[in-house]
Amino acid sequence: MTASAFGPILTAGITGGQQAFPFLTALVLVPAGAAVLVMLLPRSATWAIRAAGMAATLAVLGIAAAVLDQFQAGFGGYQMVSEHPWIAPLGISWTLGVDGISLFLVLMSAVLFPVALAGATARENPKSFTAWVLFLEAACLGSFLSIDVLLFFLFFEATLVPVYFLIAGWGHERRGYAATKFFLYTFAASAFMLVGIVSLVFIHQGQTGVTTFDIRELASTHLSGTADIVLFLSFTAAFAVKAPVFPFHTWSPDAYGESPAAGSVLLAGVMAKLGTYGIIRFDLGLFPHAVVVLAPLLLTLGVVGIIYGGIVAAVQHDLKRLVAYSSLAHLGFIVVGLFALTGESLSGAVLQMVNHGIYTAALFLLIAMIYRRRGTFAIPKLKGLQSSAPVLAAVFTVVMLASIGVPGLNGFVGEFLILSGTFLTHRWWAVAATGGVVVAAAYFLWAYQRVFHGKAEPVTGEAPFAEMTWREALVLAPLVVLIVALGVYPQPVLERITPSVDALVLHVEQAAHPRIPLAGQPVSGTLAARTSTAYSSSVTLQLGTGGERVPATRATGRETKGART
Amino acid sequence: MGSLDSYLPIFVLFVLALAFAGLSIVASKLLAPQRPTSAKEAPYECGIVPANEPPQRFPVRFYLVAMIFVIFDIEVIFLFPWAVVYDQLGRFGLVEVIVFAAAAFFSLLYLVANGALDWGPVRRVRPVSSLQSRTTASTVRRVGTGSGEAA
Amino acid sequence: MTGSTAILASMAAHLLAAGGIAMPRIDYTAILPELILLGGMLVLVLVSSLSPRPLPTEAYATATVGIGIASLVASLVLWRDVSDHGPFTAVARAVNVDGFGVLFLVLVSCILVVAPLLAAGHLRREGVGGCEYYVLALISGSGAMFMATANDLVLIFLALEILSIPLYILAGFDHLRESSGEAAMKYFVLGAFSSAIFVYGIALTYGATGSTNLAQIAAFLARNVVTSDGVLLGGLALLLVGFAFKVAAVPFHMWTPDVYQGSPTPATGFMASMAKAGGFAALLRVFVTTFPTLRGTWQPAIWVIAVLTLVLGAVVALVQSDVKRMLAYSSINHAGFVLLGLQAATARGVAGSVFYLFTYSFLVLGSFAVVSAVGGKGDERHGLERYRGLGRRQPALAVTFAVLLLAQAGAPFTTGFFAKFYVVEAAVSAHSYALAAVAMGTAAVAAFFYLRLVFLMFSDVGRTIPTHEGAATGGTPTDTLEMPSAGGVATLVAAPVAALVEVAEPDPAIVAVSPWVAAGLVLCVATTLVFGVWPQPLVDFAHQATLII
Repeated sequence: MTASAFGPILTAGITGGQQAFPFLTALVLVPAGAAVLVMLLPRSATWAIRAAGMAATLAVLGIAAAVLDQFQAGFGGYQMVSEHPWIAPLGISWTLGVDGISLFLVLMSAVLFPVALAGATARENPKSFTAWVLFLEAACLGSFLSIDVLLFFLFFEATLVPVYFLIAGWGHERRGYAATKFFLYTFAASAFMLVGIVSLVFIHQGQTGVTTFDIRELASTHLSGTADIVLFLSFTAAFAVKAPVFPFHTWSPDAYGESPAAGSVLLAGVMAKLGTYGIIRFDLGLFPHAVVVLAPLLLTLGVVGIIYGGIVAAVQHDLKRLVAYSSLAHLGFIVVGLFALTGESLSGAVLQMVNHGIYTAALFLLIAMIYRRRGTFAIPKLKGLQSSAPVLAAVFTVVMLASIGVPGLNGFVGEFLILSGTFLTHRWWAVAATGGVVVAAAYFLWAYQRVFHGKAEPVTGEAPFAEMTWREALVLAPLVVLIVALGVYPQPVLERITPSVDALVLHVEQAAHPRIPLAGQPVSGTLAARTSTAYSSSVTLQLGTGGERVPATRATGRETKGART
Repeated sequence: MGSLDSYLPIFVLFVLALAFAGLSIVASKLLAPQRPTSAKEAPYECGIVPANEPPQRFPVRFYLVAMIFVIFDIEVIFLFPWAVVYDQLGRFGLVEVIVFAAAAFFSLLYLVANGALDWGPVRRVRPVSSLQSRTTASTVRRVGTGSGEAA
Repeated sequence: MTGSTAILASMAAHLLAAGGIAMPRIDYTAILPELILLGGMLVLVLVSSLSPRPLPTEAYATATVGIGIASLVASLVLWRDVSDHGPFTAVARAVNVDGFGVLFLVLVSCILVVAPLLAAGHLRREGVGGCEYYVLALISGSGAMFMATANDLVLIFLALEILSIPLYILAGFDHLRESSGEAAMKYFVLGAFSSAIFVYGIALTYGATGSTNLAQIAAFLARNVVTSDGVLLGGLALLLVGFAFKVAAVPFHMWTPDVYQGSPTPATGFMASMAKAGGFAALLRVFVTTFPTLRGTWQPAIWVIAVLTLVLGAVVALVQSDVKRMLAYSSINHAGFVLLGLQAATARGVAGSVFYLFTYSFLVLGSFAVVSAVGGKGDERHGLERYRGLGRRQPALAVTFAVLLLAQAGAPFTTGFFAKFYVVEAAVSAHSYALAAVAMGTAAVAAFFYLRLVFLMFSDVGRTIPTHEGAATGGTPTDTLEMPSAGGVATLVAAPVAALVEVAEPDPAIVAVSPWVAAGLVLCVATTLVFGVWPQPLVDFAHQATLII
């Protein structure tokens, strides 16, 4: 999004320009390089392979921490932009940047990958496993960091290959079916996104004469009503399947259920966020008008996802599939937050993406621990685990409560922001979504009761259920710390997210407001007034002067948008 | 249509030929007496009574030679117009035709080397491959393809 | 022999057209790559005839690679000439030396460098040594080159025949296999039929425009409005049918599955790359430069053919159980993608098609080489089941195949992705949004059958997989957090050559891969991955594909 599009707030953010050390490029290249290195190691050098994998993922975490350190809170634009021409004749460039929206997703991924490797690595053929996980990390981070739309698409698609092999190679008995279903659903959906990207670039080229895939440039493309809607749908199809959003979710219980522990952790923790991240970055950034027109539809799908996911989760006999359906419900919350289009709900959605990644990863790791001890995910076959493994049960309780959204833990903050933000503009959807919180409490507590309470009935010859080992505790510790920390004090995170979200809300509302006045009020005033930080006041100021909906300073770069009616 | 007038004699000849052939067949059907006997209906009406069916197959080499002949025949057809305008083509024409002839000659060499013109008992000039080892499978396969009609 | 005939015959055509014998200046440098191929071919024939002992097939393969490299160098010199001094026509304007044509010279040369390497192992294994495969490949290559540079319909026809006839023979090359003979017969009969249609198209076009020279036809059509254009459109349609047959576009694809399946596998790979390269080169040139004025007429036809080709290729491939047949239908699908560029009828579209053909040639050559290796002696075992567990038995071979298949599916960071991207971009820029969407939809369908093969290779046979319930009794805690994982995805990328060659294990399903084939496969995979990450040179290269009009 150009400076003209987002105003002076963003211009300051971009001034960082080329950094002395290309942190973002390193974030992508370190895991990719490590993957190649791992492939070159001999197969028998298991120790070296695992060490290399851990070292690489921890190095990425270190770099991500450095990025957080360098990140200037309070600016909504892209920072630390690293821009290199790649395929110049086609206008494709290697452009990476980070803003408040992607920053914490990058950090969350950087945390989850070493955790997944440490907590759920494969015993068989660790070499390929580690290499695929590292490739996946490179692709995921690349997706979150890309500013170039085609580069994003490449990374977005590139995530499929490692996940496919992880499920197909190390999954449970229906792994072939699950892996292929996963690949085909997501591949088919994103095939149309490629046509959408190319069409958008072509339309932009027709208007400006410049062939570029840079989202900052493309955001200013003027689209006719139909083109806007069609392109929005082509993008959203890909994201909705990836996330997954309600009617496109059918691949996910299979993929989550059949994949190995690390696969589930990364699929639900990181990959699902690619879909919701795509919605916020590309749908909202590129097709604000279509977003406003179709928001009620997407909101409804989100709400249906919440209720449906909750109800189906409640009747699952398989712990893993239960968490898979609960993920569907939680992603429904995120979708509702995204399409409610208020600053608060969007901030909540971004925060909830991070939160959901953390507690779902922890849940899948805990389930993997149970599976390792009992060899089953079936709830009826598990009973009374609490008596012999109280620590494990306690950790499970904390994580589960975070997932339900109990105050003081991280799940609450995100859901609260989403619901309160949504309530202001879409009251009834918010009310319905709140029902989902109750359902979540019901199915989680019921499952907990069945698995952990009661008296253990050990099968003859079976060892008693073992307590959590030190190593397992060490793996889960960072996640539990994050769950509590983000629940108690989310402010540092929110103050970095909010400027970017506010800028996005402004962008959407500017594009939309000539057509969609909400409840008889000027949309701009309503939305801007609800943004929760200091930046909102500046936005309100600029918007509010003289009752002008679109201040002259902004209008200069946006004639095309004005001509849209 | 004037240009087609010169083709009229050919057309007339064609009609006459057809008419003659048709007339002959019809006339013999109508005029000849029909008194068939078993001896008359045998494949060979005179001489020794055949003991078995006449052979249906003859060496594939005949086809090969026929094809080689066609190739070199076409070469001659090609050389003929070249010879007519030889003077106008000059040295370029000579060089080109030498290249052409050399190509044809090389192909003849190839044919000879591969035994295309060998007659008499089959003599394998070059083995199919020096590396091919004889196994039961390969023998069965070769016999299978070789005696397709017999089986 | 045939090549010289082509030159002389095209010359003769001009002599006749001129009404007297006006000697054209023959610019031998303009046709040097073709001459190198034909000269090299004659040398091979001569050597094989005169050598007292039969030479090993590898000797011929080496010689052919050398000839291919020589013609590659000659093509690159021509390319430099064109980019420095601009395109030109030669040999009485029958040959066009422009960026587009020279690119195809380079492509054909590349195919001729890779194909012999990939064929050598197969020929040795099947015991069909000798110079014939290589000689036929070289002749066919020269035909494809003439097709790409021809500026005259008569020369295009001759080149088409020079391209096709060796391919008919290659299809029936393995005389020990009956299916091979059947394939050759089918290909020959249908091919001859389509050639006849093509000639009729030339005749009608000549009748309508008064010339067979592409530039003169274009000039005539630009100057005149053909009021009763039945003859011209008929000619155009018949030309399209002739080309569509060569490139296996639906509904003229009927021969493809049978011929691809029946032909000896290296011949199939060669056929798929060479016939498509030559056929599309002439198709693009004739339609885009010669009949741009009739664009409104032929674009819808191409649109329909492209949609049919894309959909049928992808959908029918889904139900194939024979890998060669599956790849045959997938090649039909790929032909549909190349047609996207033609349908766009823009410089960008042409560049996209050229890029696609470039990447596809390597993918298909490599794929069929793997199929040939896995098929084992007799070249008959091509069922899908044959590939089960290949990833465990021969990881490097399986990974090679997986890369080639995923690239064909259009996975990112392979050339396959950029090829699809390029043609889709061209289609979109020509406002063919629906066509682009259909194409990407079929790409998703096609991904299924590529993936099925990949999964078969990397799924294991006879391995006990802990079921959710079944393993309950064995649930003893251990000191790590690991899942009882499935394992089995074999080495990602081994040091390719070394690993491909080692076949010492006694497993009967292990197939031998000769070092020659391994080298060829490494070339294919390297091209796919290197240009997949760094496509700039190839894109620049395709951008040079400008046609002179």
